[in-house]
Amino acid sequence: MQFFLELSLNGLVIGALYALVALAIVLVCKATEVVSLAHGQLLAFGALFFYVGYILLGLPLWVGWLVGLAMGAVLGFAVERICLRPLIGQPLFSGFLMTFAVFMVLDGIFALILKGEAWGFPDFLPKGNITIAGSSVPVGGLYSLGICLVVFLLTVLFFRYTKVGLGMRATAESHQLAQSAGINVRTIFSLVWILSAVVAVVAGVMLARYYDIRFMLTMVAFKGLVVAMVGGLDSLPGALVGGLLLGWVENVASGYLDPIVGGGIQEVAGYIMLLLVLLVRPYGIFGLVRIERV
Amino acid sequence: MLPCGTFNQDYGRDTAVIRTRLQWIITILALVVLLTFPLYGDHYLIGLINKMSITIVAVLGLQLMMGYCGLISFGQVAFVAIGAFTSAILTATYGWPFWLALPVSGIVAGLVGIVGGTPALRIKGFYLALATLAIHYIVTWLILHLKITGGVVGLHAPPPTAFGFAFDTDETMYYIIVPVMLLMTYFAKNLARSRIGRAFVAIRDNDLAASVMGVSLFRYKLVAFFIGCFFAGIAGSLFAHWMMFVHVEQFPLADAVFYIGMLIVGGLGTIVGVFFGTVFISLLIEAVTFASPTLTGWFPALGIAPAAALGASAFGVIIVLFLIFEPRGLAHRWAIFKASYRLFPFAY
Repeated sequence: MQFFLELSLNGLVIGALYALVALAIVLVCKATEVVSLAHGQLLAFGALFFYVGYILLGLPLWVGWLVGLAMGAVLGFAVERICLRPLIGQPLFSGFLMTFAVFMVLDGIFALILKGEAWGFPDFLPKGNITIAGSSVPVGGLYSLGICLVVFLLTVLFFRYTKVGLGMRATAESHQLAQSAGINVRTIFSLVWILSAVVAVVAGVMLARYYDIRFMLTMVAFKGLVVAMVGGLDSLPGALVGGLLLGWVENVASGYLDPIVGGGIQEVAGYIMLLLVLLVRPYGIFGLVRIERV
Repeated sequence: MLPCGTFNQDYGRDTAVIRTRLQWIITILALVVLLTFPLYGDHYLIGLINKMSITIVAVLGLQLMMGYCGLISFGQVAFVAIGAFTSAILTATYGWPFWLALPVSGIVAGLVGIVGGTPALRIKGFYLALATLAIHYIVTWLILHLKITGGVVGLHAPPPTAFGFAFDTDETMYYIIVPVMLLMTYFAKNLARSRIGRAFVAIRDNDLAASVMGVSLFRYKLVAFFIGCFFAGIAGSLFAHWMMFVHVEQFPLADAVFYIGMLIVGGLGTIVGVFFGTVFISLLIEAVTFASPTLTGWFPALGIAPAAALGASAFGVIIVLFLIFEPRGLAHRWAIFKASYRLFPFAY
């Protein structure tokens, strides 16, 4: 029981980070109907710029954060402006493939910068462990969980209660109707990409605490996609629930099954879960079931 | 459109793939050059053609699934791996001849494809893409952890033999790989023109409408998965016996990504596009591999081996440009070119 609790808590801490990545993907998908594969690179580059600002240039922590977030936002804006805008009006499929091409370009640049090394990432959160219900949990993890939940909440509130957020939700319903109601859909697209890049960078910096800055970091986006699918591609609560669920499943599965099958179950547990969920609920747990007519 | 002066006087003529005398001459010449190439060709080029031919077989399968039937798959490389390992296990462990293992590994990959494809009956689009990504990870994980596949050690795959003659060089394997590739192309081309191919296109364009018209989604999606994975399995078997060794690291996700890129560059929904795309992307990757040491010489800051990273970036840029400026791929450009030379003195 003790072991189970410990696995669960640590799983939830990582799961909250997956939830943030998924939130970024869901935001883009909701407003622009493009499922983005490029977010892994956006978050990795954000973490990279954070590292450059905080460690290489020796700036204070909050300036490091600002540098990372700002550069992430610029990158997100550039991706939308250069690559996705020419595709407006083309089949949705092209948008998906475009983000995948962007993924390849940024992937190559990221690999060139790293040269196959891993950059040790500073742990900027408090150290030490505390004991919850008899199992010890790192304090940094709890802080990270807290930050994730706050960012998540802020984004949801922004989406719900600001005018721009209202515009985003209107655009999500129908591009044409939003446009005819006087909403500039193109501006909304840019803003959505910037917002989602910022969310992704927050997740990226927190994730880099665990993974360091290395090639692996970009692959987290696939986990984010899995989470977005499990929760439902157009559901914000789905991203949170899916993320926590994935982190929990991965950690518990690796804790109990790894000794039996000989390791590596963490890599596939999420994908097996995805297949099972899709078999039962093809649009994810909280996804909107689309009714189609010819 | 047909060249001027070509008339169809019977049904056979109307459905022929090769229509005019000039086309026959070009086809026969091309076949003669292709099949005699190892006698005078460069060793490196022969290896490259082998590699491209195997890729073409795998991408043809993906084209039938993705270009014709609209089932996006990131799992094609996993099915190539299944074919390769099946073939290696059958020949090395159970002593089957290669000639039997080749079709059987295709069928095994196809059957696994059907099992993996069952979620596809309910989901489509991005959900399916992610589900096939899941299949890729699960398959590679299983290959690493099962006893029969040799795990991290890999498996030896003996070279094919016929009448005491072993096909153990690039030149001799060429005479297995290229004819199989031609045969599979013929098969794919005719399948695409058949009732099944038309059903695929109907499902791709609007699956609900297709189903209303009486196309069984259940049957044809499973057929699409079976055929696509069958092609992958054949490609895998060829690859295993050409390399004479199979290991899970020969089948990275990046290759599945390249396959999709080849389809975009070549053109979705055309058989000729598979050839354009595969040759274009393969040559691009070769060129980057060649240019990489020179570039490192010029810019030492790039590091020792930027080939893989530069290759990925160059590939990405190409896809971005194609999606923006030529979304229908090189096959479309080729169709425009053919139409304009047939009309030559006139504009239309």
